[in-house]
Amino acid sequence: MAKDVEGPDGFQTRDYEDPPPTPFFDAEELTKWSLYRAVIAEFVATLLFLYVTVLTVIGYKIQSDTKAGGVDCGGVGILGIAWAFGGMIFILVYCTAGISGGHINPAVTFGLFLARKVSLIRAVLYMVAQCLGAICGVGFVKAFQSSHYVNYGGGANFLADGYNTGTGLAAEIIGTFVLVYTVFSATDPKRNARDSHVPVLAPLPIGFAVFMVHLATIPITGTGINPARSFGAAVIFNKSKPWDDHWIFWVGPFIGATIAAFYHQFVLRASGSKSLGSFRSAANV
Amino acid sequence: MEGKEEDVRVGANKFPERQPIGTSAQTDKDYKEPPPAPFFEPGELSSWSFYRAGIAEFIATFLFLYITVLTVMGVKRAPNMCASVGIQGIAWAFGGMIFALVYCTAGISGGHINPAVTFGLFLARKLSLTRAVFYIVMQCLGAICGAGVVKGFQPNPYQTLGGGANTVAHGYTKGSGLGAEIIGTFVLVYTVFSATDAKRSARDSHVPILAPLPIGFAVFLVHLATIPITGTGINPARSLGAAIIYNKDHAWDDHWIFWVGPFIGAALAALYHQLVIRAIPFKSRS
Repeated sequence: MAKDVEGPDGFQTRDYEDPPPTPFFDAEELTKWSLYRAVIAEFVATLLFLYVTVLTVIGYKIQSDTKAGGVDCGGVGILGIAWAFGGMIFILVYCTAGISGGHINPAVTFGLFLARKVSLIRAVLYMVAQCLGAICGVGFVKAFQSSHYVNYGGGANFLADGYNTGTGLAAEIIGTFVLVYTVFSATDPKRNARDSHVPVLAPLPIGFAVFMVHLATIPITGTGINPARSFGAAVIFNKSKPWDDHWIFWVGPFIGATIAAFYHQFVLRASGSKSLGSFRSAANV
Repeated sequence: MEGKEEDVRVGANKFPERQPIGTSAQTDKDYKEPPPAPFFEPGELSSWSFYRAGIAEFIATFLFLYITVLTVMGVKRAPNMCASVGIQGIAWAFGGMIFALVYCTAGISGGHINPAVTFGLFLARKLSLTRAVFYIVMQCLGAICGAGVVKGFQPNPYQTLGGGANTVAHGYTKGSGLGAEIIGTFVLVYTVFSATDAKRSARDSHVPILAPLPIGFAVFLVHLATIPITGTGINPARSLGAAIIYNKDHAWDDHWIFWVGPFIGAALAALYHQLVIRAIPFKSRS
């Protein structure tokens, strides 16, 4: 699809425009309601995300506990849990994409910050809101069923038996890479300009990426790939086992997001070599 | 449309319901078939986009094998089927991952992630021989690395539980396995051709996400049908990656099925779409 057009000076120009890098500190955005609205949106989205997903986890464990009146194949199953995570991300990203960018995940925020798509102030505020939302979401789940919540592990992330710390860390790194890489692809301005961009359908592959990673890594770590999700459950559950492993669920996702940002910006978009090329030739397509 | 005439000749518009006013009124078709790709195109070897596409295929196939084989291992390690995502979860892992990855790499490499798809598109003259070979090599390497990471996570269970390798199950003959692979790959590659059809892209409002979605669903549905028979290959790179890392006799004994079957299926799909559905060679001769 060669959509190149002749610029006024005769040189070819691109049919898309990369937004300029966001400044690290943008004092002006602090004076705008849209920033605080976005932060509130991230808080509410993460609250709903944790509420639905952790409630699904606890419900499944109750219904499949054969020693407490459940049945072996009771509940929605592990597949249902994976659907809860992936499906919830899909609808929440759809709802908040136009308001805050629909991150719902500190790792996504971090990756987009590295790619200069959000300012430092906004990134920090988003992460704080996401963590607070996660704590509140899990808090609701505990409030609804305190004894069940404590008895069935609180939906917290920790390493399963039979896997070592390195495996858990690697699983979190690669899982978060899949997610953040999909986010970058879905928000690529080049693709948006060339395809008929239909915003409702961008969240779908992001939701599917989350769903896929949960299918693969629930047996290993219960699947974090979202530090706020892991943090919220760890805070409310508050036992030593989740806290012992908790560092994995921040270090892994942040490394995965970094690798995804690097891969998308420098390999796929080749932004470094393009800026070098601009000195040699104005035909910069 | 900037350089096109706005006036429309009476009777010139052969597609009254779908045709936007002012375009293609001067020609017979509202779409343009891309010319056949040359077999050898030396110029693309000096372009970064060629290597970027290969890297994208490698990364995509790596992630595909990592997620799918890890899901298979999770199901096999579970004490019972209900304590895991189950066979349906495995099918979702394959189909959903193809959807997400084709979506991510469609604009970079065409999002093949499968040597059979690359072969089918090559037969349809949609990419050069150089590019086709490069893609297939990168896909196989990515698959080996993906399965290797899964083994690295759990070396002993990987070897004792079959390593996610494709084999013909008990109770089925090799002919059945081959037939299943041929038809399964036909479904997939035929869907790929339909999703990337130039005629449909011009006439439907082309929405980028709706091409990967049916491709992912095709993979999901074929897995629902043929996991009991062969564990479902329909992707030679996927079968090769697991076979190399697992490296047992019975995986290698059946391995030829997972190259011959998919390549035959892809060829049949290419013939069907190009000769029957689109009748391209007959049109170009007229």
